[in-house]
Parts: sequence; C-alpha cells; structure tokens
Amino acid sequence: MSRGRTSTRIQYAIFPLLLVSASSGAQNASPSSSDHPQEIIIQLVEQIKQLQQQDHDLQERIKNLEARQPQTSPVTQADPASPSIPPQDAEQTAPPPAPPAAPHDWHAERGIQWRGFGELNYKVLNQRKPELGTYGFVPGSAGNFYTGDFGLFLTSRLTAKASVLSEIVFQEGDAQSYSLRLRRMLLKYDYSDHLKMSFGRYQTNIGYYNWAFRSAAWLQTTADRPLVMEYARNGGLLPTQAIGVSVTGAVPSGKLGLNYVAEYGSSDTIRPDINGDGGLNDYNNGNQVNVGFFLRPEAAHGLQIGASFYHDKISNFDKGPSIREGESIVNGYIVYTAHGIEFLNEGFLIRDAALDLRDDVFNTPAFYSQFSKQLGRMRPFLRYQYVNASPNNLIYDDVGLRQGPSFGARYDLNSYIAFTAQLDHTVRRGEPDLNGLQLQLAFTF
Amino acid sequence: MGVKSMLAGLLLGLALLSLAPPATAQAGDMAVVVSPANPATNISLGDLRKFFAGAKTSWPSGLPIKLITRAPGCMERLVLLKLLAMSEREYKQYWTAQVFRGDADAEPLTVPSVGMQKEALKVFPGAISLVNIADVKPGMKVIKVDGHLPGEPGYPVH
Repeated sequence: MSRGRTSTRIQYAIFPLLLVSASSGAQNASPSSSDHPQEIIIQLVEQIKQLQQQDHDLQERIKNLEARQPQTSPVTQADPASPSIPPQDAEQTAPPPAPPAAPHDWHAERGIQWRGFGELNYKVLNQRKPELGTYGFVPGSAGNFYTGDFGLFLTSRLTAKASVLSEIVFQEGDAQSYSLRLRRMLLKYDYSDHLKMSFGRYQTNIGYYNWAFRSAAWLQTTADRPLVMEYARNGGLLPTQAIGVSVTGAVPSGKLGLNYVAEYGSSDTIRPDINGDGGLNDYNNGNQVNVGFFLRPEAAHGLQIGASFYHDKISNFDKGPSIREGESIVNGYIVYTAHGIEFLNEGFLIRDAALDLRDDVFNTPAFYSQFSKQLGRMRPFLRYQYVNASPNNLIYDDVGLRQGPSFGARYDLNSYIAFTAQLDHTVRRGEPDLNGLQLQLAFTF
Repeated sequence: MGVKSMLAGLLLGLALLSLAPPATAQAGDMAVVVSPANPATNISLGDLRKFFAGAKTSWPSGLPIKLITRAPGCMERLVLLKLLAMSEREYKQYWTAQVFRGDADAEPLTVPSVGMQKEALKVFPGAISLVNIADVKPGMKVIKVDGHLPGEPGYPVH
C-alpha cells in the first residue's frame, strides 16, 4: 500500500520534471535544431528513458531502505494529551537511524491511565459583606485569586467488563490550605449496554449537570456550577455524592433511546451556610434511593430529556436523635447539545420537613437555564438561575430567594486550555443585589 | 514548431493532471466497514451515530465495539463529525467528558492511513470504521446503512 502510494507520488513528480526539462530543452535548442523536430523527439525520448531509469533506481533504493527498516508501530492510540501524529510521506521520511522499536501491541490497554484537570480563578464581588468562601475564594475580599479544584482522574481496566475509576481532588480552602478528597472511587462492571453497574463512591445522578460535567471546570462552559448543582460541601442544595451501588443502562425502546438509572447508597451530607454566618447543616442522611430515566430520541440528535426521583431521610435533632424526616427531590430536564449549540434546562423541587418541633413541610423550587453557541474558538453563554427557599426552612434559610443572570464567554486557546470570563448579577431576598466578575483559566492534561 | 507546441501542451496537461489531488480526497459516499469476522450486514443510521458517540458499546452479537477513526483533517473524519453534528473541538471535548464520566475507557483509536484501518479491522473483530468508498480494500467488510450500500440512492453517510 505504502509502496503503491510512493510509486504514484514519484510518477506525479516526474510530470513537472518533464515539463521543466521540455521547456528548458526548448529554450536551449539551437535555431538549427528547431528546424529538425525529429531530433527534438529523439532528445525527449532519451530524457524520458533517463527519468525512467532514475525512477527505477529510486524504487530500488526505497526497497532497500524498507528492508533495513525495523517494524514500527502501525497505529497511534488517540491521546488527548498529545496531538495526533499526521501521516508522513515515505519520500519525506528520513532514513531511520532507528533503534529497533518494539512492535505495537494492539491490545495494550492495561495499566493505569491518568488525566488531570486544573483551574486558576479570579473573582471580585461588589459587596464586601462576606458570603461563603468556596474553592479558596476569600469571603469579604475585594477580589482574589484561587485555584479551586485540582483533580486527578485515573482509570484501569481489569477485565473486558470490569474496570476501576477514581477521582482524587485537591481543593483549596481557607488560607491557601488544601484538602484531599476522594470524590469518586468506583469498581465498574459493564455486563452489557443494558446493565452497567458501579460500586463505591459515586456522584448521584440527580439531574443532567452532575452527570455531564462531573467536577471538571474545563468541561463546563461557565466558570462555575449553578448554585443548585453546586457540591453540597460548597453550599449546594443537593446531596451530590453517596457510597453504594449505581446501575444504569439502555432499555430496548427502538428509536426512542430510553435509558434508566437506579442508585442505592448512603449519604452523609454536611452543607455550610452560604450567607457567611459559619453555620453547618448536618443532614445525617440515611440510605438514599434515586431512580431516573432519560431519552435520547434518534429523530432529534443532541436532544436529551430526563427525570429523576430521589428520596432519603434526614435526622431531626430538635425532636430527638432518632427522629427522621423525609426528604424528596424531583428533577426534570430538557437538554440540547449539537451543531455547536448547548441549551440546558433543568428544574428541581426539593421537598423536606422543617427540622424543628413543628411538622411543617417545605417545597424549595429551583431551576437554571443555560444557552451557549460555539463561534470558532469562542463560546458566548447566558445563564439564568433561580432558587427560592423559605426563610422558615431551617435547612435552606441561608439561601432564601436567589435569582439572576450570568453571561460571558469561554475562549478555547487550544484543545487543552480554556479561558472564561463571566459576569453575574444575583438578586437576593432581604439583601442587596450581588454583582460579580469571574475570570477562569481551566485546563486538562 | 507544431510538434513542439503539441508536446509542450501534452506535457503541460500531464503536469496539471499530476497536480490534481488524489482520488482519496474526493468527497463521496463513506463506506461503513467492519471486520470480515463480524456477522453484521446492516446498521441503522441511528445505531451508527450511537456507536461513534460511545452510547453503544457492543454489537448485537455481543462483540465489544472498537471505534477506529482517521486523523483530523481527513475526509473520513469530516464525515464522522458531520454524523455527530460536532466540530473537531467539540468532538475532543466530548470524548474527554465521556472518559471522565466513566462512560468510556478511552477515546477511539485514531489511525493515519487506510492500510492501518485495514490492519485494525483484522486485529479487532468488533472494530468499525468509515472509509472513503474509493479506498475500500480486500479485508474490509462493507455493511449496509439503513439497507443501502454506498453508491446506492438513499445511502446516508457521505
């Protein structure tokens, strides 16, 4: 195959040479010779013979070189950490001084595969009354730099169906201290497309965002997560992680593209108040169950519609250490991601009992909507988010009503580094509006 | 003088022909090829999209799917991106996310030539790839898409 192409390229190269030689021959021809076209033809035939001989010699040299060349890797494994190697012409390839390379092992997929995600942020707010500082942001400051999450993601295939996945995160805290978190640790067993099981610490599949972006800032369009999808440890409203078993798979449904998710595990969420009062909410969740489905209809490529229902029990320490109150979270979403468009729409209803002596039940609605469009390297975006928690709800009294738009743009410097600038305007009940600017450099490696 | 002009014209014509791009770069139907050991003979366009998006990981026969793609810039790659409605940048980001979610072990295997596609099909019984119809070689099994072979009216991959 490669010899055939080489031969073709040599033939292609001969024609311009013929043209040049013919034109130069014409220029050099003496007036007397131009009177004898037969001689010109004889000269050209001679030149063609010479070129054929040269071609033959070149073929021989290529054969000799190829015979000497050691067998090298025929295929490159796509590796996001290194750009694809373009094919090289045989004519451009220098004769290898090559040390003998080991033949490529097509099945070499064992071992641990690493990937990393990092970010550098700068945030400034127009209100200096401190709110919760997350990811290293110093609350109450006029503006400061912080590194957020630095994540190391590793996978290892054990057998054709079993693998291990782990996500280790170094998260910046107060005074540039770093805490180490095992955000995910899963033993995965994919029996088939209809049954994929994961055992260990997983991110709950409540909603789309948690599934799609996990914890990597580089994967997100915006500089931060919507508040409702923020990690509970950073003030988010949902139990985002659990230890247990998660099962997912495709349901035979033809062109409907129906998939299911079922999870059963233990959560123990501790959520800090986000209003900066330093309070901690210990949910002391029990075992949680989360079931959901999503559709990816073939007729509308890029469209995903899903819903989930989550339930667990939270301790009511005011009534007694053994008193448990129910918490349920209903989620629904419609998402479109194709043709450079990203249109995310998710709604939540969190229903829980007041954690005091009364028997009140509170519903906390929340949603976000995000639209972005890829324009070359740039992806401008607009997001609107809304959370409305009752001031009497002791779990979310620090949240209250928060709503407002965020807009900005992500610029991909290359396939591994992205810069995002984002402006936020947040309307808060009983508090002055909050305006913020976030600048983020996110990368993967 | 007349013979000189004729020869010059002939050589000029040949030289121009030699500058023309090789047939492999011409747009046309893109064949979906699998290993000859794969019993599949037909695939729906929806399934083809699911395969290359990593949403399906095994053939109906149970064979694990191995995606073989060409390097960025190739016609096969452009057709793949069109199939998935993604740009090259989005495609890379998509597969990074697939791996990070745990939905895939690794990005599809990228090969730089048709010969290596053929070799990959030999090694992986569950391999699937897109090849320009002009470049299909012995050892590549072309399967129908939505009941059509490349070149037939209604063939959807081009």
